[in-house]
Amino acid sequence: MDRRDFIKDLALASLAARFVPSLLGQAQNVPDLAVIQGESPALITREAMAALGGMKRFVAKGDKVMIKPNIGWDRTPELAACTNPEVVKTLVELCFEAGAKEVSVMDNSVNQAQRCYARSGIADAAKAAGARVPFVNPYRLKKMPLRGEWLRDWDVFTEFVETDKLINVPIAKHHNLSRLTLGFKNWLGAIGGPRNQLHQKINEGVVDLAAFFKPTLTVLDAYRILARNGPQGGRTSDVKLQKSVVAGVDAVAVDAVGASFFDLKPDDLPYLALAQKRGLGQMNLEKLTIEKRTV
Amino acid sequence: MKKERSKKYRLLQILRILSQAAFFGLFLYLLFDTHFTGQDYIGRVEVFFHFDPLLALATSLAAKAVFASFVLAAITVVITFIAGRFVCGWACPLGAVQQFFSFIFKRAKLLNPKRVEWRSRLAWKYYILIFVLIGSVFSLDLVGFLDPLSFLYRSFITGIIPWFARISEAFIGLLYSFKVSSAGDALAQFFGALSLNQTFRQGFLLGLLFLGVALLNISKERFWCRYLCPAGALLGLFSRWNIGKVRIDEGKCIKCNLCTLHCQTQANPYPNEDWRSSECVYCYTCAAICPTSAVSFPVKAKPEKIESVDLSRRKLILTSLVSLVAVPFFRITPAGKRASAKLIRPPGALPEPQFLQKCVKCGECMKACPTNALQPALGEAGPEGIWTPVLVPRVGYCEYYCSLCTQVCPTGAIKELTVEEKTKVKIGTAWVNKSRCIPYVLGSPCIVCEEHCPTSPKAIKLVKTSVLLPDGTVETPVAPVIDLDLCIGCGICETKCPVVDDPAIYCTSVGESRSEKNRLLLEIIKPTLPRQ
Repeated sequence: MDRRDFIKDLALASLAARFVPSLLGQAQNVPDLAVIQGESPALITREAMAALGGMKRFVAKGDKVMIKPNIGWDRTPELAACTNPEVVKTLVELCFEAGAKEVSVMDNSVNQAQRCYARSGIADAAKAAGARVPFVNPYRLKKMPLRGEWLRDWDVFTEFVETDKLINVPIAKHHNLSRLTLGFKNWLGAIGGPRNQLHQKINEGVVDLAAFFKPTLTVLDAYRILARNGPQGGRTSDVKLQKSVVAGVDAVAVDAVGASFFDLKPDDLPYLALAQKRGLGQMNLEKLTIEKRTV
Repeated sequence: MKKERSKKYRLLQILRILSQAAFFGLFLYLLFDTHFTGQDYIGRVEVFFHFDPLLALATSLAAKAVFASFVLAAITVVITFIAGRFVCGWACPLGAVQQFFSFIFKRAKLLNPKRVEWRSRLAWKYYILIFVLIGSVFSLDLVGFLDPLSFLYRSFITGIIPWFARISEAFIGLLYSFKVSSAGDALAQFFGALSLNQTFRQGFLLGLLFLGVALLNISKERFWCRYLCPAGALLGLFSRWNIGKVRIDEGKCIKCNLCTLHCQTQANPYPNEDWRSSECVYCYTCAAICPTSAVSFPVKAKPEKIESVDLSRRKLILTSLVSLVAVPFFRITPAGKRASAKLIRPPGALPEPQFLQKCVKCGECMKACPTNALQPALGEAGPEGIWTPVLVPRVGYCEYYCSLCTQVCPTGAIKELTVEEKTKVKIGTAWVNKSRCIPYVLGSPCIVCEEHCPTSPKAIKLVKTSVLLPDGTVETPVAPVIDLDLCIGCGICETKCPVVDDPAIYCTSVGESRSEKNRLLLEIIKPTLPRQ
C-alpha cells in the first residue's frame, strides 16, 4: 500500500468512524459541548443534557451523585453570585430520572453557610427536587494526596470524592485575580484548609484541584453572568444576561467557551493552557464539536 | 390530732416545679432560637427581658427615657402587688437554676439547712439595688452586671453554650472514631444548623462566674435570690401589700420548725408573726412539708402589715453615698476622651455615651451574630463598658445582609435596623498594613480582601504598584488600596486576610456613622467629586 492509498483509507476510516455509529445508535455521535441559549434556565439545562446524549450517558441506575454548584455568597439569584437555582434543580431532576439513588448538593460557602444556602435559592430548589442539601461537615474534612504539580496534599471534604458521580455546576463570573471564575475555580468550594493562600498561585492551584476532582460532567451556568465586581457583585447593574448554559465532559473546553461570554479568548485564562498541557482537555475551540442552539 | 401533709400544697409545689421547668425551657428555646433561622427577621426572642421591672427602671433612669417594649414589666409589677413574688418562685429562669442547684446540694448533703441563718444579710440585695439605681441616675449602667436575666443570658451565651457546643463536638468526633458515621453526620448537621458561637474571650471567666454563683448554693439555699438579686429586692418592695399571706394554724402546729428550716428564701414562716412577705417567693415548700398541714396561704382581701427586712437608715445612707462616690471612679478612663481604635460597635449601636447608658451586657447580640464576631469588651470602653459587645474582626466579620443583633437588643442600645438600612451603616474603616501585605512585600498576587469586600462598587481597589524585592528587582503586582468612602468597616477583609497572625488589612472604628467626633474628614471639607 502506498502513501496515497494509506491516506485515502485513513480518510475513509475516519469518515466511517464519524458517521457509521450514528446509524447504529445515537449515543456515540454526541458533540463535545452543548451551548444552549433560551429564556428558561430549566429548559436550556434540559436541552443541553439532551444534546449531550441524555443524563443516562453519565448517571447509571443506583448511582450516588454529588452536585457542586457555587453557593459561595449570601446573594440572591438576581445578583449572579451563586449558581442559578433552576439550573441546579433541573440537574437534580435529570439525575433522578436517569435512575440515581441519591443526589446531594453541597458547597463550602464563604459567607455564613445557612445564609448562602437560603438566599441563593439553591437549598429550596434542590430540596424540592428531592436532593439532600447538607452543609459541609468539618468532620468529613480529610487531608488527601492531590499529587498536583504545586499542591501535594490538601484538606478535602470527602463527600466530593466518595461519590459515584460528580457534577460541577459553576456560574460564570468576573474575578480580579483569575480574570474569570468558571468551572476550575469552583473547586475551591470543595476543599477546606487555608483556601485564601491558594490565591498566591491561583492558576497552578485550580489546575491541581481540577485534575484531582475529575468531574463526570461540567455544566456552566451563564444565564446571568457577573460582568464586574466579582466574584460577589452586589448590584443588578453588575449582572449581564447571557441566558446560556454550557455543558460537556471536557472541563477545559467548557471554561474556554465560558470566556466568550465576557468577550475574552481562551488564551486570556492562563490556567487553561496549563490544564491542556496536563492533558485535562482541549482549549482550542476549533478542534471541538460544539452544538449551539437556541430554544 | 391528724398528722398528715397537705395534698393541696404538695400539688401546688409540683405545679410550681413544672412551671419553673417550663419557663426555663422557654428561656432555652428562645436562646437557642436567637440565630439566623433562614429568615432575615426573627421574632421577639428577647422578650424575657421586657418582663424585668429592674431593667425597665434602671435603663429608663440611665437613659432618661421611657421604653415602650418594657410595658410588659408592668405585668410583673402588678402580679407582685397582688400576689407577692410569684414571678421569682414560679417564672424566673435564674431562680430555677438556683433552686435546682440547691436541691442537688441538699440531696448530696453538701447544703445543710440547719446552719445558722444570716438574718442581716438579707438586706444586701436592697443595698445592691440602691447602688444600681443611684448609678442609673448618674447614667452609669450597673444593672447589666447584676440583673438576674443579664447575668443568666451572658453566662449562657459566652460560657455555657460554648462549653456545651464543645462537648457535643467531642461526642460527634467520638461517633466518627467508632465508625457510626451516619449518626455523626446527622448530629453534625443538627449542630451546624443551630450555629452556636463557640469562641468568646473571657468565656472561661464568665463561665466560672456562673459556676461560682451556682456553688454559692452550698452555703445557703437560693443564695443569689436571698442575698444578691437586685430584681428580687425591687419586687420585694412591691410585695408587702399582697393578698396571699402565710398563716399557721396554732391548733395544728407542733412547733417542729421544719417550715422555717426548709424555706428557700429565708422568709421565716414560723413563728407566724416573723414571716417576711418581701422574701417569700411562694414556692409552697413550707406548706407542703408541714407534717400536720398547719401551714396555709389563705387569700385575704385585706392586706395586713407584716415584718420586713430591717434596712438600717444609717446603712441606706451609707450605700447611697458609696454609690455616689463610686460613679466617678467608673469614669476615670481615657475611653471617653477619644474613640478607641479597637472599639468597633455592632451596626446600629447608638453613639457611645447613649450606648453605655442602655446596654445591659446581656450578650443577646453576641448570640445572634452569625460569625461570632461580637465579643464581650475587655477595657476598650472603660470599666462601665466591660462585657458590652465589640466586633473583633480577627474572630468574625459583620455579615453584609444581616441585622440580627439590632433586632434582638432588649433595650435599643443597638437601634433596630432593616437589612436595607444596615448595609448603609459604617461601623469602622479598613486600613492596609503595607509592610505585611503580600503584594506590597513579596510582589506576588493575593487579592483575597478585594474578593471578599461586599460593597458594590468594592471599597477595596486593586491598583498596580511597584515593589522592590530583596534581590533588587522590581515587580509590579496589583495591590489593595482602600476607598475610605465606600468602606463600611465590616471587617471581612481582616477576617479572611491570609496573613494569619497579624493581618495585613485591619479595621478600626474611625469613620463610624454613629459618632460625630470619630471622623477622618468632616463632610464639609470632603471633595465632592462625582462618583460612578
